[in-house]
Amino acid sequence: MPDLGSAIDLYQTAGSLLIYLLLIAAAALAVCIPWQKKQPGGKPERVAYFLILGISALLAAGSVLVMWFHWEIYQYVVLRLPENLIHEINRWLAAANSRSSYTLPLYDPASPPRYVLPFWLENEKYLFWFLAYAGMAFFAWRRLSQPIFRILLQVLLVVQVAALCLACNPFHQPLPRFFQEIGPWFSPLAPMSRLGLFMQFYPKLIFYYNAHYMWIHPPLLFLAYAGLTVFFAACTAMLWTGETACETMAYAHAKASYLFLTLGMLLGYPWALQAWGPNWWWDPKVASSLMMWIVFSTYLHARLYLSRRGMWGFVGGLGILCFCAMLFTFMASFFFPGEHTGQ
Amino acid sequence: MRRFNYDFFLILITVVILFLISLLCIGGMFYYKWAELQNVAPAIKMAFQEQMNNLLAPFLIALLLTLGLCIPKRLFPANWLYVFIILLGLTGLGSALVWGWHEALLWMLVISAALQSMVLILVVSGQRLKFLCEGYWNRLGSSLIHMGLVLFCMDFFFLSHRDLHLVIFWISAICIFIGMIVIFYAEGMMK
Repeated sequence: MPDLGSAIDLYQTAGSLLIYLLLIAAAALAVCIPWQKKQPGGKPERVAYFLILGISALLAAGSVLVMWFHWEIYQYVVLRLPENLIHEINRWLAAANSRSSYTLPLYDPASPPRYVLPFWLENEKYLFWFLAYAGMAFFAWRRLSQPIFRILLQVLLVVQVAALCLACNPFHQPLPRFFQEIGPWFSPLAPMSRLGLFMQFYPKLIFYYNAHYMWIHPPLLFLAYAGLTVFFAACTAMLWTGETACETMAYAHAKASYLFLTLGMLLGYPWALQAWGPNWWWDPKVASSLMMWIVFSTYLHARLYLSRRGMWGFVGGLGILCFCAMLFTFMASFFFPGEHTGQ
Repeated sequence: MRRFNYDFFLILITVVILFLISLLCIGGMFYYKWAELQNVAPAIKMAFQEQMNNLLAPFLIALLLTLGLCIPKRLFPANWLYVFIILLGLTGLGSALVWGWHEALLWMLVISAALQSMVLILVVSGQRLKFLCEGYWNRLGSSLIHMGLVLFCMDFFFLSHRDLHLVIFWISAICIFIGMIVIFYAEGMMK
């Protein structure tokens, strides 16, 4: 990939600068918290407002950088085959298609396969997730001036930015697994080895990287996770203060998150059948997502009885449990083996 | 006035069943991890899927029975409901003995889908059925979500028929999506 080298350098340099700026903004936002406690509704709140806006803008800039980098990958990473192998590969593909219910397009030399990578691969997903959270937190922060709720939103944003910068920086080493995977394609290979490698890469390109579902299923889930984080802050504030406004805010985010979560999970189902066949059922991530969805459904049903005695605490507690279930579901892909490992 | 009504207990039973399914899911995850550590062969992992499906089946039947109570409660008075659920249970048991559990589950889902279609038509036409939630849009949304969930469960029975499975899946997904939009946002938008 000689043509991509300069793009990678630029991506890493610009990304590092963004990460430094994000760290500075997050540190400033953290410093604001004790100051806000002393002067609620005063100057520190205005500073915090602009810092949240700034962090959102920096995360958005990072996403634009990711988009540009993926455009470069689209241009330079091409699974191009020599003329003499095209007939052979199309014969192989036709044979594979005849045995499967989901077919692969035949190789077209006029438009060889390219990677149309989505913007939430590997560590990039954190950037998208935290950007979604920053945007939602910004609007929630504006809508509700409850001091504890605002501080919680800020704490969660600081934690996320710190995690992005220190533990899962997408710019430090861009898409390591993807580049490790496709690396052999760009080394000198015997014709039959190249054919074999093509047959190894091509189904994953079609059914995973370039799949339409890849543009719908993961982002919907990350939007749900972001909404659930605001929901968690609102539920905690609701239990802490007992204010109805916090509960209303929690419910507003619960509705949106539940919609994203349900739709995201549903749309993962036909994709999983297409990409993995029936072997994904009872995959740990699927099981934990189902568990999270059940907890969330329980919250929405329990909320119907919010005005009954004892239900305020129960409903708020369920909201916090939903967030814990989300963390468990997300972490599950790093601990439990399965089709979703590391995703 | 009674502190907790019929709806409350129905929700409570559903929650308990869902909680048990959640526990099963978590148990399955740890078992899967254990299988990895023990280097269990893929063939045994297939057996694991089968075993998990078998463990889930009674909870799914219980869930279908509560759904069997939840859907027709909008149509029938309470005393009819008990007769209905006993009949549903008996026909389910009968079909399980004659055709097997797989077909019995499908039979119960078909009955639920037929009843839910009836509820949906009546709600759309503006009939006042017995719902926990108030308002036309909430009732329509709730009916659509329930319809979608029944169809989604039915879809599992048609996985081997690719085209039919996709049709059922997309109908269920659209029902659930529109149902959620309607129940969450329509009332606010109409104000």
